[in-house]
Amino acid sequence: MRYVVIGVSGANLYGPSGQAIFTTDDVDLFLPLDPENLVEAWAACTESGLQLTAGNEPLDMPRDRWLAERMIERAALTRAFGPDNFAVDLTLVMKGFDFETVWNARREFVIDSLRIPVARLRHIVESKEAAGRDKDRLFLATHRDALEQLLKKPEGL
Amino acid sequence: MDFVDSDLERALAALRRASEAAANLDVRVTDEYLRLIQAVEALPQNQPGADKSGRWLGSREWWRFVREGHVVKPRT
Repeated sequence: MRYVVIGVSGANLYGPSGQAIFTTDDVDLFLPLDPENLVEAWAACTESGLQLTAGNEPLDMPRDRWLAERMIERAALTRAFGPDNFAVDLTLVMKGFDFETVWNARREFVIDSLRIPVARLRHIVESKEAAGRDKDRLFLATHRDALEQLLKKPEGL
Repeated sequence: MDFVDSDLERALAALRRASEAAANLDVRVTDEYLRLIQAVEALPQNQPGADKSGRWLGSREWWRFVREGHVVKPRT
């Protein structure tokens, strides 16, 4: 299954453990326009105990290729909720970018022994600039300062 | 909700101000900003294969804190 962590949750991973995180209430995963991949993503979420929703309603059944094709036609978002309020957005859209561009430039980090593909910080930031929502503008207004502070620390931590 | 306590009122007012201010912020991704990004990506802790488990755990705890937030009655 292919996905890339994007958004604020992706940007936060480029900071050191001791640095403050940028506020977000979910994890954004960018997926390719591939029905089989989307079905696999749904199955992985379900196996992990996450509840799948689309448009504030439970995602229809069966969660098969036909449904995935309809979701892709509409570039529809799937949202997954976990028992501890953990929320994951499976998005098919990253403003200003296609999946292959982001995937080919991805950086893989290790989290709990798993290799996690994360979008390059430049792609995350440029996408936020392209999206231009209030929350994106607030993020950009403070993110640059955070990078400057990070680089000022002599140990880079 | 029957009431809004003063702390929450102040917090909501701050969010409103931040939202209004966002419309006027200069948030262009300049060449200098891109140089900063490049420098951060080049740090040892951001190389491919770097362990980010601690960073991730911090985010998870923050999400849990935010999502479990609720209005409390003001102290009398």
